Amino acid sequence: MSTTTTYNEAAVCVPRAGTLYDVLELILDRGMVIDIFVRVSLVGIEILKIDARIVVASVDTYLRFAEVCNRLDLNEDASSRTVPDLFASMSRGVATGGARRAAKSIGGRVKEAVGMDEDDDREDEDDERFEEEEKEKAPARKRGSGTRSTSRKTASKKSSSRSSRHSKAA
Amino acid sequence: MASPPLYVYAVVNAGLALPPGLRGVGRPPVPVRLLPAGELAAVVSDVPPDLRARRRDLTGHQELLLALCAAAPVLPMRFGMVADGAGTVRRALDAAAPAHLATLERLDRRTEMNLKAMPAQDGVAALVRDDPAVRRLAADVRRRPSYEGNVRLGSAIAEGLARRAAQAADGVAQELAALADERVQGAEVPGCVLNTSYLLPRAQAERCRELVDRRAAELRDRVELRLTGPLPCYSFVPVEGSRVAAGAAPRPAVVRS
Repeated sequence: MSTTTTYNEAAVCVPRAGTLYDVLELILDRGMVIDIFVRVSLVGIEILKIDARIVVASVDTYLRFAEVCNRLDLNEDASSRTVPDLFASMSRGVATGGARRAAKSIGGRVKEAVGMDEDDDREDEDDERFEEEEKEKAPARKRGSGTRSTSRKTASKKSSSRSSRHSKAA
Repeated sequence: MASPPLYVYAVVNAGLALPPGLRGVGRPPVPVRLLPAGELAAVVSDVPPDLRARRRDLTGHQELLLALCAAAPVLPMRFGMVADGAGTVRRALDAAAPAHLATLERLDRRTEMNLKAMPAQDGVAALVRDDPAVRRLAADVRRRPSYEGNVRLGSAIAEGLARRAAQAADGVAQELAALADERVQGAEVPGCVLNTSYLLPRAQAERCRELVDRRAAELRDRVELRLTGPLPCYSFVPVEGSRVAAGAAPRPAVVRS
């Protein structure tokens, strides 16, 4: 199934902005609107939201789930014929690995669908660097009591995304 | 002389002293200021050139509102609201002042917590064990392997995982509702089986998080629970902040995007 289209307007990186993705719909679709105000264009975002839905419920995902299930069955058959404990533990391992792959592929597809090219990536990295400088300059802004749990989560997400990028570069 | 357009972040009580150094959208993030109008004030900034819904802009909007919320009750605006000048902002606030003041009072010392629930991706084995229909499909596919059969099986698994997750999440949602003053069902989010926001006294936020942490661990093989907050009360402000005033204020001609 093809979901590859280039979205020049799409500027939000869903998979990496963990916390932001969780509140994206609140920031974009809730909150107060004053009808004599104008709203900035959200063209890219609309496409992105629709596309994420297509990807999550894709045939590709179904096939991967089916694959996980089929392996599961085979291993259970084997275990009933031979050494049950040994194979039971093996089938658990296979099942988990397969499902992880399925989940990972969803993430990869979203990233693809977002149409993140090299330029976007670089821009995002610049953003992050900029935000870090800001944090150092004005720690009070991000460390309010209200943001404690959120910023904790952001920090861990960020560091993990950064390390994965480093390993890619290496 | 026409005043320049303004990005509007929030409506607050006029008495609020803005913490110093607050910044908003744009790169570099632009400084924000208060625009008083009677008993209310709008938190505004200049509109950065080439404003779009970029990650950094969304983050700027969100971070500013979080900082404001820590200090005082806030009516958060939706991302991207731009007024064509200071006069327009003042007119909008004046026209809906009683409603805004009442909402600010209602939200005082309160916060929004958002709970999202997604199917646990590792639950395939448990689902196959417990769901006769899925087991039957799996047996069919094994007897007569086919592309269509696999798609049917995978689709049934995806549905089954979502169903189990929704059931598990429902109990947690009920428990949170008992702690909350109000709750609002959110829009459907791709991949989520539940998206609900709760309005809670600030003092309850930590308890809410502990509860969800506990349930997330217990229900790990069925559902992935994600609690976000404390948040600006996006879901508990009137959507059309000046609808009350429609007709009361002269409407300048604006181009809607």
